[in-house]
Amino acid sequence: MNSKFKVPGWPHAFFKWYCEPKRYEEIHGDLEEVFYETAEKSGHRVATIYYLLNVIRCCQPYAWRRRQSRTSSGFVLYKSYFTVALRGLLKNPVNSFINVFGLSIAVGICILVYGYYQWDHDIDRFHKNKDEVFLLTWFGNQNGTLHQYGSSPRAVGPMLKNDFAHIKKVCRIEDGGVIVKYADNVFHEQVRYVDPEFLEMFTFPMKWGSSESLYDINSIVLSEDMSIKYFGSDNPVGRDILIKFNEKDGKAFKVAGVGAPFPKAHDIEFNILINFENLRVADPEYKFDDWSKTVGATLIQVDDVHAIKQIEQGLGKYRTLHNGALQERPVTNFAFEQLTTLHQKAANIRDAIASDYNVEGRIGLPVIACLMLALACFNYINIAIVSATRRLKEIGVRKVIGASRGRMVVQFLSENMITTLLALALGLVLSVTVFIPAFVQFSGGEMQFDVLDSNLLIFLFGLLILTGVTSGLYPAFYISRFDAVKIFKGSVEFGKKNPLTKMFLAVQLVLAFVLITTGVVFTQNNAYQSNLSWGYDYKDALYVSLPDSTSFQKLQAVVSSDPNVEMFSGSTDHIGKRSSPIVIHLPSSKQFDADQFAVDANYFQTMGLELSDGRLFRDRSQTDRRAVVVNELLAESLGIANVIGTTVEIDSMRYEVVGILKDFHARNLFNKIRPTIFKLAGENEYEYLSMRVKPGTEKRVLAFLQTRWAELFPEIPFQGGLQKDVWGIYFDRVDRSQNFSIVIATIAVFLASMGLFGLVMMNVSGRTKEFSIRKTLGARAADIMQLIMNQYVLLIGIALIVGLPASYLFARASLDMLFAYPIPMSYSGIITAAVIVIVIFLSVVATQIRKVLKANPVEGLRME
Amino acid sequence: MARIHLGEFEELILLTVGILYQEAYAVSIAKEIEKQSGRAVIISAVHKSLYRLEDKGLLSSMLGDPEAKRGGKRKRLFTITSYGKKVLDESLDLRISLRNQIPAIAFK
Repeated sequence: MNSKFKVPGWPHAFFKWYCEPKRYEEIHGDLEEVFYETAEKSGHRVATIYYLLNVIRCCQPYAWRRRQSRTSSGFVLYKSYFTVALRGLLKNPVNSFINVFGLSIAVGICILVYGYYQWDHDIDRFHKNKDEVFLLTWFGNQNGTLHQYGSSPRAVGPMLKNDFAHIKKVCRIEDGGVIVKYADNVFHEQVRYVDPEFLEMFTFPMKWGSSESLYDINSIVLSEDMSIKYFGSDNPVGRDILIKFNEKDGKAFKVAGVGAPFPKAHDIEFNILINFENLRVADPEYKFDDWSKTVGATLIQVDDVHAIKQIEQGLGKYRTLHNGALQERPVTNFAFEQLTTLHQKAANIRDAIASDYNVEGRIGLPVIACLMLALACFNYINIAIVSATRRLKEIGVRKVIGASRGRMVVQFLSENMITTLLALALGLVLSVTVFIPAFVQFSGGEMQFDVLDSNLLIFLFGLLILTGVTSGLYPAFYISRFDAVKIFKGSVEFGKKNPLTKMFLAVQLVLAFVLITTGVVFTQNNAYQSNLSWGYDYKDALYVSLPDSTSFQKLQAVVSSDPNVEMFSGSTDHIGKRSSPIVIHLPSSKQFDADQFAVDANYFQTMGLELSDGRLFRDRSQTDRRAVVVNELLAESLGIANVIGTTVEIDSMRYEVVGILKDFHARNLFNKIRPTIFKLAGENEYEYLSMRVKPGTEKRVLAFLQTRWAELFPEIPFQGGLQKDVWGIYFDRVDRSQNFSIVIATIAVFLASMGLFGLVMMNVSGRTKEFSIRKTLGARAADIMQLIMNQYVLLIGIALIVGLPASYLFARASLDMLFAYPIPMSYSGIITAAVIVIVIFLSVVATQIRKVLKANPVEGLRME
Repeated sequence: MARIHLGEFEELILLTVGILYQEAYAVSIAKEIEKQSGRAVIISAVHKSLYRLEDKGLLSSMLGDPEAKRGGKRKRLFTITSYGKKVLDESLDLRISLRNQIPAIAFK
């Protein structure tokens, strides 16, 4: 052996790959001989080159690997499997439909969930600098628990930029309400005061104009919606638009940019952007270097993502500065949140510019999808096992001819893959044409779905393997186990006596039961939610937002002249519209966070708030300036025996608690009631006028108000409406969620009944001979009915016994997770679901009994 | 006339196999041709022709013994079959008879 030189590795591998194994030895022997000789003579390098050339030159048909007959017969076999599978599908159209359609519904839902996750994951990730942009957040202790907040002290932004070399850009964001006027269009709008870096950090696509324009203090950038609202389809860049910050101060801005429509996967957005410096005009009291007040958000952009830890460690001095200025709300520590993951974390960050409204879907949808998929797979498993009875002969013949068990497993699995593939294709079509549009409509949100997404292909492939293998593995192994001799002797005990089939059916029933119960309970809960008492009467109440301190007097005259108005009241805050967060100090130096409403003495009666203990404010009483009314929740959490008469301290002022109100929902019912406190508002501080009108007249009063408003304040748009409409979005959402539950429950019912139908049909038709003989011997309809039913009664019983507690627990857990005030669990929902399951089951069985009874026994007894 | 047409290179190979007698395999054939005619021969061309001639039945072959200079691999040794000899003879006869028919005047 020549060990001095070695044949180069990869050309050798290439040669080995293409060369016919039988000729490998002789041809490569020649090549090696030449190689070693050349190497001895001219060196290793030259030999290697010659060898490589020879390998390439030898790559000719005479040296190529011959197609082997073994693989070609394998191909024929697969082709035959395919034909058999197709014939099988066409021979049993009903069962095939159940399998394919059932699976495709489940697959469709899975694809929907995938799309949802993809969209949710993509939210706010279209910004180019998403990894380098961070939101400054802080942790603070509230009533004993640590919370994260997305706002920040006003002074911190400018300091950050000076203190850290790694911070490239800083952007503060503050939101405010203004009146926007262009020609005849006058509306209330929300503007975002931002540092000019905003559009550099958030790379929103622009339709017109440039994103640098915000550096000009007189520029304004509009979203596409706003541009259309004020200018129609025209390009407004260069035009002047008037912004009124309050009744006195206004300023003309030049439109410098219009955003393109926001990408669908976005969370942070804007209506109108103007330079942060304009806050000096809008609010002269707004101090940019104030440590005790907060700004909506402070964002930074760093030049190196890894520097963020270092910056975080250097934030300690801001804590000292902040806690020195605002001792009652100490900051535990400051921390940064990356824009990339901000949306996902937003549910746990209070007062953040980002919000997370997808928690419900993120938890609920995968659970639904998994249950549906499991249901469809069980359908498949059952039908596959039972339908194998019809193929016993085929299995026997295959085995005799020499099919190994492995081959049989492969055959059944590949048949299953074909079914699954069909289901996948149909499911994709279903989800794109039905599920996703329907879901978008239900959820009222936007969702983008890209069929050409490469990750989707991977997901689909995974789904194919998962469903194909999980649903096919057991039937394949079970069926292939049969002994060919026993099959031909006819002594295979099969199908109806198989305990596993029964167990699968039971599991399937339990799953269906859980899904149906959840659907029913959610439907009930939604009805319950919309009838839940809000703790006050919003039905005949109206409100108007006041533009300035003198307008209350003017409107008062208007309102009192309308005989339909029973009562009215002025207030600084208003339920559902505005409240102020405050901190209450007890003499025992304990402190509590609460929402404060500043109102007048009539407010409680006007809004229908009920007193539980003590008294309300007295009209025009000077002593009540130092009195407060609290809600029951706050009274309880104070943890003292006599709440009435207790002195509390707010903003270093002492107040006496004079009354306790029953709890009411100041926010929508998805939120927990918060500790709430009422105090008297000063008369020139009124910002809202609320009124209670005679039942049924609210629309008329509103119209009257609007006409008088236009006369009194021609320059200011009317802002107000029915108290009920304040919760429009909430009621909308509850309605949608109700529809969604109904749809899900219906699909579950549909899938379960399809599976049952297929199974019962197979079982009954497998016993056609038996029933025919019984009938000819004189069995009555009732006997046959009993025979068929007997098989299932026990099964249903067991399924109910397991399913009842399971569905109770599941439904309760999901309700508790999603709703702050869920319906108290009663048994009515579960009983309804049980009745639905039983009725479906009975009607499925009944169709088959009817078929048996109507059939001519002679037909059933005839052989083939 | 021969029913099988022999290419020039094939004829060369066939002849060399005959010369080398029991030592005719691809590498030795290539070397022999190179030695006798002075033209460089590519080993894969030799392979190709050898296998073709064997398919046509002009050559037969057997595997030899493993050798260290070939990395322990056996070589395929070729010999001319009687049919091969016949085809070779016919081909040479044809050439000689054609050569003899050229009139002497043509070379003047």
